[in-house]
Amino acid sequence: MAQAKSILQLPDDPRFLDMAYDVQGAVPEEERNLLSNLSPQDRETAIKFWQAVKSDFRYNEYLRGCLNCGVCTSGCPAAKFYDFGPREMIQYMMRDEVDKIWEFTNKKVWACVQCYTCSMRCPFNNEIAGLIMLLREYSVQFALPSAKEILAPYRRVLYTVLTMGNQVTPDMIQPDSFPDWGPQAVEESKNMDVYRKAIPVDLMQRTDIGWHPSLQTAVEMMTIMIESGVMDSLRGVDKDLYDMIMDIYEDRKSQLEEIKEKWQKGELDENELPDSWLDL
Amino acid sequence: MDKKMEEELKEAFPMADNVDWNEVYQRIIYRYSTPHGLQHVKEELYKLEDKGEIIVHHIKPYNNPVKMQTLNGSPKIIPTTKLWQHKSCGQCGHIPGYPTSVFWMMNKMEIDYMDEPHQTSCTGWNYHASGASNPVALAGVYVRNMWRAYEIDYFPLIHCGTSFGHYKEIRNMLVLHKEIRDKLRPIMRKMDMDIVIPEEVVHYSEWLYTMSKKAAQQKKYDLSGIRAAVHTPCHVYKLVPEDTIYDPEVFQGRRPAAPSGTAQNFGAKLVDYSTWWDCCGFGFRHILTEREFSRSFALFKKVIPAVEEGKADIFVTSDTGCVTTLDKSQWAGKAHGFNYNLPVLADAQFAAIAMGADPYTIAQVHWHATDVEGFMRKIGVNVDDYKEKFIQYLADLREGKAEPEYLYKPHRKIDFYLSVPERVKWYKGDKAQVPNTSK
Repeated sequence: MAQAKSILQLPDDPRFLDMAYDVQGAVPEEERNLLSNLSPQDRETAIKFWQAVKSDFRYNEYLRGCLNCGVCTSGCPAAKFYDFGPREMIQYMMRDEVDKIWEFTNKKVWACVQCYTCSMRCPFNNEIAGLIMLLREYSVQFALPSAKEILAPYRRVLYTVLTMGNQVTPDMIQPDSFPDWGPQAVEESKNMDVYRKAIPVDLMQRTDIGWHPSLQTAVEMMTIMIESGVMDSLRGVDKDLYDMIMDIYEDRKSQLEEIKEKWQKGELDENELPDSWLDL
Repeated sequence: MDKKMEEELKEAFPMADNVDWNEVYQRIIYRYSTPHGLQHVKEELYKLEDKGEIIVHHIKPYNNPVKMQTLNGSPKIIPTTKLWQHKSCGQCGHIPGYPTSVFWMMNKMEIDYMDEPHQTSCTGWNYHASGASNPVALAGVYVRNMWRAYEIDYFPLIHCGTSFGHYKEIRNMLVLHKEIRDKLRPIMRKMDMDIVIPEEVVHYSEWLYTMSKKAAQQKKYDLSGIRAAVHTPCHVYKLVPEDTIYDPEVFQGRRPAAPSGTAQNFGAKLVDYSTWWDCCGFGFRHILTEREFSRSFALFKKVIPAVEEGKADIFVTSDTGCVTTLDKSQWAGKAHGFNYNLPVLADAQFAAIAMGADPYTIAQVHWHATDVEGFMRKIGVNVDDYKEKFIQYLADLREGKAEPEYLYKPHRKIDFYLSVPERVKWYKGDKAQVPNTSK
């Protein structure tokens, strides 16, 4: 037990304890794979991108080493379907392979289904799915074309989540966009209003929102998104959506302030309020 | 030690004398510890509370806590009453019978709860799908929701698997990283809130499992002839794995206790299939914008193994995305001659139906694409009667002849605008306890 104290003193970066690569360097066969074919401009962005990811406070916590054992990829659902595997990404990260990480970020990183199977199975306790999220998060912050392309069909969802704090709405299930969900879903979508009314909870009776949040809740949520910089990174990816959400925020904020003031002064007549602020 | 053994040891471990064992220990500790060398993040949580850096929302005796076990054997306290319903956006949007089954069971078991419009989703689905968020925003959303529960002293019960996993992760991040707390604090102060972290992050399926033996006493139908395949949602037990409950009574403690244990305690026979560990195919962005993956994965890797290997009568799971994906991915298979129609239910719906809940007005099974009616007939539910009544109810609602029925008192108008701290008194009357006032 006398040793216990010294045991917990970790080396500066214990990942290198397990990587002979840093000492040995690449073998000739590997060198061929590592040659850069990026344009100088892309390479510059790639380096900046990788430096940003590496300097994130989560990076060192999530990446702890790699045995190259492949357990992550063998259990990966996305690897069964796409040309994608987490082991590949970890190896590039361990080797600081800027070009390869760039390629992986633009072509493969969005294939991951975020099930965290790799993270749970990794003998090194790497938070692999978390590392994938780092790449995704920074590709949105850098407004990479690959991220823009991925987010284009996702626009309506982003709008809903950022303005009302709900990811999906009941009425998004339209026969044209979800024909694969079968005839039952089509039936629901045709008579959505009456089916929603038959749900025995008042918050869930609208067709345009999963549950009805309060106005204050929606404004607070948007405040968090603005203050924390989420909206700034959205501006680079989708300027129109950014403008629209900011306009909505200003309207709702002033509406809330007005109601709050009246309430605090005891001047608010509840009956004068519309049934739902969503209809305003 | 005799000489022979010494020689054998030498032969087995020729480098033993030259190894720096201290270095080996370091490696082992580094690999198998948390990055911060803690047994559980709660150790640090209480220290921060003592320092006054954060407020901890404690589980109180009046929450009727029950002690359960986690993966590594450390205890997890499950509050069983006075609960704040942290709803799931996907459930409320597309599987409304999921939360209503939870509320119905709570009414039936006389559990005190609050369901409010002062909640947003965890935004975790969006984060995992689009990456369009950041740690401070995610922590802000978490703390804001937790504050709303804290100020009225109801303990948060998380309905969604992703919210549950995601909140565990965010809780750890908030506790372990001062820089996130420092960035978050001024944002919360702007909204007259502070950083509040509940003592435990509790998924409703853990609550349901904890209550399942008691709930099963009110069972109305016999499930002993039912073969239930269980899909445990990934974000419930793979994301921050050490904080999910396990029980030696369920798969000898080798798989998470919920929802398998719930199905078991209700009398169904659990069946195994080789891909029990795999994800459902939801994929967060895939289910919305790349469904060819979700459909194929759910059908080939989950539904077909459950039917062919496990001969399952029903798929029971406990998360928003899994119910949606497994349920909606079977119909499309018909286009290629894969005629599977395995009913999919959330554990809450499964339990509520078994306890005699109306399958349409409460469990809302008509939102499901698979043959849930077939399952209900098998256990003896009088499906046709219920259906006829429900169709009449829908017609009456449409024509304005009937008023909607509610599981709890509908909200006041002001609650759709402001979150008034004393609101709980209006709903609970004299039963309401004094809300938390310290900030």
